[in-house]
Order: sequence, then structure tokens, then C-alpha cells
Amino acid sequence: MSEAKRGAWGVDPPQAKRMSEAKRVSEAKRVSGARRDARGEVTERIEAEFRAAGVTGCLHVVDMDSGREVAVRAGDPVVLASVFKVPLLVAFHRQAAEGVLDPAEPVTLGPADRTAGPTGISGMLDEVRMSLRDLTFLMITVSDNAAADAVLDRVGRDAVNAAAAALGLRDTVVEVSGRELHESLLADAGVTGFADVWSRLDDPGVAARLRALDPLRTSRSTPRDMTRLLSMIWRDEAAPPDGCAAMRRLLGLQVWPHRLSSGFPFDDVVVSGKTGTLPTLRNEVGAVEYPDGGRYAVAVFTRSLLPVAVLPRADAVIGTAARLAVEALRRP
Amino acid sequence: MSKIDIYVRGISHLISSLIVNLVGHLRCFVAVAEELHFGRAAERLGMAQPPLSQRVQRLERELGVRLFDRSSRKVALTAPGRLLLDEARDILTRVDRIYSVAERARLGEVGTVRAGLPSDLGGPIVAALIAAFRARRPDLRLDLRETGTAEQVRALAEGALDAGIVRHPCDSRGLEFGPMLGRPLGVLVPAASELAASPEVHLADLGGRDLVVAPREEAPGAYDDLLASCRRHGYAPDAVHEARHPQFALGLVLAGTAVALVPRVDDTAGVAWRPLVGEPLAWRTSCIWRRAGDPEHLRAITDFVAVATAVLRREAGMTPLDAAPARRVVPRPSSGFLA
Repeated sequence: MSEAKRGAWGVDPPQAKRMSEAKRVSEAKRVSGARRDARGEVTERIEAEFRAAGVTGCLHVVDMDSGREVAVRAGDPVVLASVFKVPLLVAFHRQAAEGVLDPAEPVTLGPADRTAGPTGISGMLDEVRMSLRDLTFLMITVSDNAAADAVLDRVGRDAVNAAAAALGLRDTVVEVSGRELHESLLADAGVTGFADVWSRLDDPGVAARLRALDPLRTSRSTPRDMTRLLSMIWRDEAAPPDGCAAMRRLLGLQVWPHRLSSGFPFDDVVVSGKTGTLPTLRNEVGAVEYPDGGRYAVAVFTRSLLPVAVLPRADAVIGTAARLAVEALRRP
Repeated sequence: MSKIDIYVRGISHLISSLIVNLVGHLRCFVAVAEELHFGRAAERLGMAQPPLSQRVQRLERELGVRLFDRSSRKVALTAPGRLLLDEARDILTRVDRIYSVAERARLGEVGTVRAGLPSDLGGPIVAALIAAFRARRPDLRLDLRETGTAEQVRALAEGALDAGIVRHPCDSRGLEFGPMLGRPLGVLVPAASELAASPEVHLADLGGRDLVVAPREEAPGAYDDLLASCRRHGYAPDAVHEARHPQFALGLVLAGTAVALVPRVDDTAGVAWRPLVGEPLAWRTSCIWRRAGDPEHLRAITDFVAVATAVLRREAGMTPLDAAPARRVVPRPSSGFLA
């Protein structure tokens, strides 16, 4: 790859790019008084939706092109849960572009020592052989934990964190693999199976003991960091354009309809995303694209009061809150 | 140089020292030294970056040494900076202690326990609680406030309360808990209704009747939990009325407008309390408190918690839930591990 091309997404973004970012930010700050009031009103409505759904939430929604934003505790540290698969995907494509790995390289995963999870290879019984990039397909579209850990083993945790740092994500750290997270969750809760973690949470002291639910002791980020990452994927800045296009395709093929997607029941609006789920935590980050060219990076991280596994309102409020924010940004 | 000149210089030096506000500037210095990044340090201090840089520069002028090497793109401590960092931290620790001692003296915190109680606890229970605490700690003042669960959690986090009695589930991060106590709920119906004719009522038999409950904002977790359990057991009320005061709820029940789901009460004129078949509903209550730094104050708080827990068990018919069977949870793929 040529040095010129590297400049567009590499370790040190060219000066012009940084200038344009600074300009975007200053433009975002130059909102009129009336518009700022409208923005204040929307954050209140979003907070009210979070309360009504029985969650506490952090949100950042940004217009990818103008930099205008809606922020609710957008700089607070949050638990990534499965959203860690997005920075992992980005690091994977940066390594592919650098020739460090071959995306088509076949990988064989035996049935033993497979990372637990409800979907994809995690739930399969027999040996699986597929390419690294097809593993990323399962890791993003159905949040396959076995596939994600196989990709993480190949890419390396340090490389993921180095890529995050290079992209200016100051508060994003991938601390643990899916396997380590699973082990710590069971050990901290003192149970042998994942389903039992839920009922242990009826004891209010337990939640505080679970490292997996504490943003300071597990893989973490901020809503602001995540919208920055999503915007860079959509603007071809996170990796070379073909890598970013591949990432956008996978995020657009995610199957889950219950969170971000549920907030935009419109045939002509494209919703792409990646969920993150752990007991009481429901997250999704993604992009929402309108046919007029408006495109918005979204990051919503929630924590429910009820330690209940099936909580449709808590899932749906992610979409509702995102729609309120996007509609506020689309108002002229 | 005349004597007067020296005098003037002395004053101006004194004035500049006062302007410098050493403690505030040392705080800035320590934050930058720990973050080695002006932007992050500014964020941590909740201030903008330019005034932070100015304060560090003023401190450097005041001390006559450069604290940071900003020549490269990185911020690094200079040798004098490293030397002064420990001293600065030491001063800040001592200053913080002065403030905390002063605050304690100002609030009389050590001699008072400020506790929140839910408004529907009942008069006799509140009276028993006060009497029992007086007997145990006659040296302390008990400052009770009628406060819902959500507000208690907020006040505890802000330090405006020391302890409380809350309904679960609630946001418990960073707080301490006493034993979980359960109190089964039954249904309050008009004495003349056909529901009052049977000794026990199935939750599903309440179908078609409105429900009256305490406002959701007082304890949103317990409220959501209660309504979810009602639906789970076949009772989806057509309308839910929120009543801040138990007497108002009673009025709606007497009028036949709604039924109420409450702990056992004696039958009074016009209404009857009936248990629910299978005890599908219960309030889960516990004491909650924050970890006080001062050991004397902490002892005062834990004494309150012990007294309150005993009173809730003895007077309010609450029983420890330690032996409760684990709730059955079957996660679905969308709520499974790391979905």
C-alpha cells in the first residue's frame, strides 16, 4: 500500500483531516440559541424514555457530516459487552490492509474449548472450518462468541487497543476475551451456568461484585468514542475504503430487530449496528442512514433496574432514544 | 533603590501570591502530572484547557521552576516537577482533611443519623423504629425523612442521607445492604364484592378490574416488578391508578373503582384483604446505607440498620429471604451471554 493511501486511515491522520474535524466541532458549537433549547428538550425527553423503560442510559448521536450531536452522559465510561467486536473488526481490517493477516485464511475450530454463547459457532456441535473473514461475519451479524474469540486470538488484544488509540479513541480498552468474560462472570457470581447469574442478581450486593458489569474492571468505552469509531467506518477513515465497506456490509447484516432497528420502522431508512448484552446491560452502536443522505452515528448503553433477562421495553428504548436524537438533528 | 520601592515590591509580591491560590494551582499541577495530558487533566478537573495551562504556567512562575517539559508532542515532568509532585500531593491530602473535618463539625454528622423511610411504612412501624433507636443510642439524634426508594438512592449517593429503607430492585451500586426481607402481598377488595367471599384469590381472577398502586417514581424497580408479575400470573389491569397516599388508594377500593395489592391489613369497614393463591407477589425490602469514612459515624449508621431491620421483622411481618428458592431464568438467544 502506498504511503499516500496510508495517510487517510493510518496512525497519524494528515493535518487537513484534523483541521476539518476541528472545524466540524466548532460548527457544532455554533448552534443558535433556539436550536440549543430544542437540543436541551430532546435530552430531557430521552431521559424520560429511559426512566419509563426502567433503565439508566448513556447516549451519543452525531450527524456524521456536520458534527452536530445529541449527548446524554456521552463521556461516561460504559461496559462494551459484545460491542467490543466492533473495534476488533476494525483492527482486523487494518491488519488485513497492512498485510499482517490474510482475511481468506482458513481456520479450523474444534468443538472442544469453544467460547460459550447462544449463537453461531458457539452453539454448534462439530468441527468448523471457515475463513477469518467469514468468522467476522458471524461475530458481527449474530454476535458469535466462538468466532469472535478465534478472530481476537489471531489479531491480538494489544493490536485492538493500539488500533483504538491510533483512531483517537481515548477511553476505549478491550481488557478481556469472551471466554475470560464468561469465566469471570460465573466465578464472581458463584454459579456454574450463565442462566443462574440472573437469579443471583436478585441479591443487590452481587451486581457490585461482578467485574463484567463494572466499566472500570472490564472492556470499556464511552458513547462518544463509539460514535467516533462508527463515523470513521462510514467516512472510510477507520481502514482503507474497501475494508470500511466490508465492515459497513457486516454491520448492515446484523439480525437483531429489537433494539436500534426497532426505533426506525421505515422501509427507506437503513439501520446498521452491533448489540452488546450482559445481565442488566443492553447496548447497541450503529449507523442510521436516510435517503436524503443524512447519516448518523449512534451509541446507546443502558443498565436496567430489573435483573430480568426478557425486558422488551429496555431493548426498544434504545431505538426510541436514538430516533428522538436523530429527529432532533434532522430538524432544520 | 529607596526603602519605599522595596515596600511596594513586597506588596505586589504578596498580591501575586494571593492571586496564585496555591492549593488550586497545586491541584492543577497534580492532575496534569498524573494524566501527562492537558486535555485529559482539564476534563478530570471539569475545566477548560486554556485556564488550566495558564494556572500551571502561573505556578511555574511563582515557584521559579519549569514543572513540565512541553517541548515534544508529549507532556513530561521535569526533574523539579517530579521532586515537587509528592510534596504537592501531601499538601492536597492535608487540605482535603481540613475540609472533611470542618464539614463534619458543621453538619454535626457524627451525632446524627439521617434516614429515609418509604411513605407507606405505616405509623406504628415508624413509632416503633424511633423508640427502638432511642433505646439503643440515646446519645444520637435520628433525623427521619419520608422518601421513596429512588430518591433515597439519589440522596445517599449525594451524601444527603446516611441510611434508608428501600424496596428492591433498585440501583445499589456503591451502597451497602442489610438482609433482604420479604412481605407477601394480598389484594384489598370491597367487602361486598364476590372476591371477598373466598378466603384466597387467584391473581387472574382480578381481570377486568383496575389497579391502584403507589406512584412509579417512588420505587420504579419494585413498580415494574409488580406489574410484570401481575401479567405473568394472568392479571393485566385495564388501567393503573397511582395513589401517593394509602387513604386515597383505600377510597378507590371502597368505591369499587380499583383493587389494591398491599401487605396484610385488618379488614375495616367496607374493605376486605385476601391473600393471593401461591403468594405470587411480595415486596422485597432492606436497609441501605453508605460507607461513612468516620468510624464513629459508621457505627451510628450500622446501629440504625440493626434496629430498623429488627423492627421491620418484628412489627411489619417481614421475613428474611435467605432461603428463598432461586428464580428460574431461561435466557433467549437475544438475551444470552454476550449477544
